[in-house]
Amino acid sequence: MIKRLATAILLMSASSALAVDSPIQGQVQSKCSVWTETAGVYGHPLPYKLTTTPADGGVKASIRIDVAQADYYKAKFTHPNSFSSSPALNDAVAWTGSTVVGQVSVAGMSAYEAAKVTYNNVTEFNLTLAGSTWFTVESTAQYGSTKSLPAGNYTALIKAECIAK
Amino acid sequence: MYSKIILALGLIFCTTLHAHEMTPTYPKLVPSYVDDVYVAKMKLFNRRDDVEYYEIGVFTKDWKALPFASSSRIIKVSFSRRKLFEVYIRSVDLPKAMYICTESKVYKSTKQVTLVSSRICSKIEQDE
Repeated sequence: MIKRLATAILLMSASSALAVDSPIQGQVQSKCSVWTETAGVYGHPLPYKLTTTPADGGVKASIRIDVAQADYYKAKFTHPNSFSSSPALNDAVAWTGSTVVGQVSVAGMSAYEAAKVTYNNVTEFNLTLAGSTWFTVESTAQYGSTKSLPAGNYTALIKAECIAK
Repeated sequence: MYSKIILALGLIFCTTLHAHEMTPTYPKLVPSYVDDVYVAKMKLFNRRDDVEYYEIGVFTKDWKALPFASSSRIIKVSFSRRKLFEVYIRSVDLPKAMYICTESKVYKSTKQVTLVSSRICSKIEQDE
């Protein structure tokens, strides 16, 4: 009898415990995150050339942009057109570079590449879909006509921007 | 099997990622405690372990810099920390103000060959 009573009390208390709610609240805000995955490395295949091309020993920069809501932002990438620090250079440096869409989290983002706008050393992408897009930035610097670059440390800056529309 | 390898690789690579975030996307300027000065409340999240300082800027639609006040023009945000900051704009500049931006500042003395500077701009919500 006592055993049955104890079981009944246990069941009642257990069922009342199940009725307790523990809500977890969250909020998704429209936002943009700029992720610098790989900063990039210049290879030095020729005495007058620095390049991020992998075939020449370089590493291309990879930047990921996450947007939480579609069509709220545009991305803008500026590849370098000068060194932010270098030894003294007494001749001109010819800069080339590009930004392309790499991996995408949503298949439709592949269209960003065809719709991109390029001017000077800037490339703009209209982020019309929510999700992650990886962008690959390439840069090459060629010194003088074919002059050797002076020995020393060279640093160049890539600018990745996320601008609300 | 392959999915486990991909997951493992993903976790390895994720540990080296760095991010810069700022909200809200469309801040609203409200009157501050000072006459003819409006304020926007912003939040910055620094997940870039290579960056500690961010520069605040207010710009017109043509990217001309506008005067503003904040606790500091360059703010220190440690890795994996959030920072709430306020941007004060004069009412005369209000019709021209369009963007509030934060830009990462990189150390000059770094040994990295290429650096990535990130900038996020929120668009000020204008009353019709």
